[in-house]
Amino acid sequence: MENVPDNHGTAINLPALVASLEPDQLAVAKQQHHCPRRSLTPEEKLVFWALRIYLVFMFGIVIYQVWMGAR
Amino acid sequence: MSPPIPPTSPSAGTLIHPATAVDVVITHEDIDRAHDRDRVWQTRAQRGLWSRARLLWLLIGPGILVMLGENDGPSMLSYAATGARYGIGFFLPFVALTFLVACVVQEMTVRLGAATHRGHAELIFDRFGPFWGWFSMADLMIGNFLTLVTEFIAIRAGLGFFGIPPSIAVLAAWLVLFAALMAHRYWTWERVTLAAAMFNLIFVPVALLSHPHWHAVASALVTWKPLPGGLTQETVLILLANIGATVTPWMLFFQQSAIADKGLTTHDIRLGRVDTMLGAALAAVAALATIIATAPLFAHGMSTANFEAAGFAQALQPFVGRWGATLFALGMFEAGMVAAITISTSSAYAFGEVARRPHSLNLPFQQGKSFYLVLILEAAAAAGLVLIPGIPLVYIVLVVNVIAVLAMPPALLFLYMLVNDREIMGDLVSPLWANILALGVVVVLIAAGVLFGVSVISPHALSFFGGR
Repeated sequence: MENVPDNHGTAINLPALVASLEPDQLAVAKQQHHCPRRSLTPEEKLVFWALRIYLVFMFGIVIYQVWMGAR
Repeated sequence: MSPPIPPTSPSAGTLIHPATAVDVVITHEDIDRAHDRDRVWQTRAQRGLWSRARLLWLLIGPGILVMLGENDGPSMLSYAATGARYGIGFFLPFVALTFLVACVVQEMTVRLGAATHRGHAELIFDRFGPFWGWFSMADLMIGNFLTLVTEFIAIRAGLGFFGIPPSIAVLAAWLVLFAALMAHRYWTWERVTLAAAMFNLIFVPVALLSHPHWHAVASALVTWKPLPGGLTQETVLILLANIGATVTPWMLFFQQSAIADKGLTTHDIRLGRVDTMLGAALAAVAALATIIATAPLFAHGMSTANFEAAGFAQALQPFVGRWGATLFALGMFEAGMVAAITISTSSAYAFGEVARRPHSLNLPFQQGKSFYLVLILEAAAAAGLVLIPGIPLVYIVLVVNVIAVLAMPPALLFLYMLVNDREIMGDLVSPLWANILALGVVVVLIAAGVLFGVSVISPHALSFFGGR
């Protein structure tokens, strides 16, 4: 499939057109190839958990404030 | 491994990719994106000022959209409440500073999206695993849905000024959002939404109609006056609402995904930064104009505690005239409308990335069914909630901005770690100065959150921070 009609019916050179995309920009490449998982250091896990606890605590405060406001 | 996407478009199929010499499946989405990239490469090959300007025109979009999109209903209402309650002395420079913070944060998403061609949610899941990925998604989805509700509140209130019933207003807005998707083409969607987003500057003529004292405006920007009334529970809420009006988690997800969908590469990072700064400048002008426009309410000591958007427009009428009030109400509608489009799109991108479903605005409906359904149904649910009578609208919009600030530090930590990950970023990892700025932003946001917590649990403790 060298020359094919585009969505407006105009003939396009598909290989030349697709060359303007980097190989990992293709939809299939994005679907099939994923970045490998990295392992977290204990310090990183600690910071992640600390921020998670911070968020849950602060959400609790927001809910408390909304409840107080409703009263 | 997932099965390849079926080439259902008449012009899609397989070919040998010139760069890799490997037989690859080409989809409709690829061809649309390739057309956009082809125009960029052809323009880049040309010389001259006109070609430079055209290249900028081709590459702008995600940055301006994310910044003007964040000038949304709750943000504009926060700015209006700020001007009306506190005037311009402290908050003009403060809000300008928050847009600089937004630039620092969003610049990282430009590099990340251009270097990896992947969305933010996908990278978090891939690099940190589903455990942390789902936490991040929950933060995003809860925040996005609450914010979407407030966008429809702004739409309802803005059109309410013209006597349009709430049900008609939210239905019309939902239909506009639906219509913007009909092109099934990222480029068309981006240009239509950009054109709509430019109406955010409608707040500038409102500010001009309020006949501000320009000397006082210039003085406020240069001297940074103290916070009127000192640090109180109310001022802490307004401070956080103003921070949340410029930096929120959905912005990180949206801009990175939009950059990947648009097809930006590492060659485009410089203009991607220009796009972001241009967006921040335009959004800052609109935000400052809103504060200036409502400052006469502060000067005349009017109580604005229970104003909705339409209430602000009506209250402003004696100072800016009928035309000014009309523009203000239209601006509220526009702010909610554009943000409803961009925020629901950020949810749909994130869902597709995590569920490994096709996610692009270049997809025909049949191929991107789940992507479009998430977008449309989330907006429909938010629109429906707004029609419940008796909701305390102003309070909700301020609280939503506060939640955005609270959810930012964990989101920023993921971004910070990804943008410093040499395995995916290569030489594009953040330089030291950018890391110092990013960590500074995290510290400031956590400090603001803690201050809010103190103001709620023990308001008297604010005296330790110089308040009363």
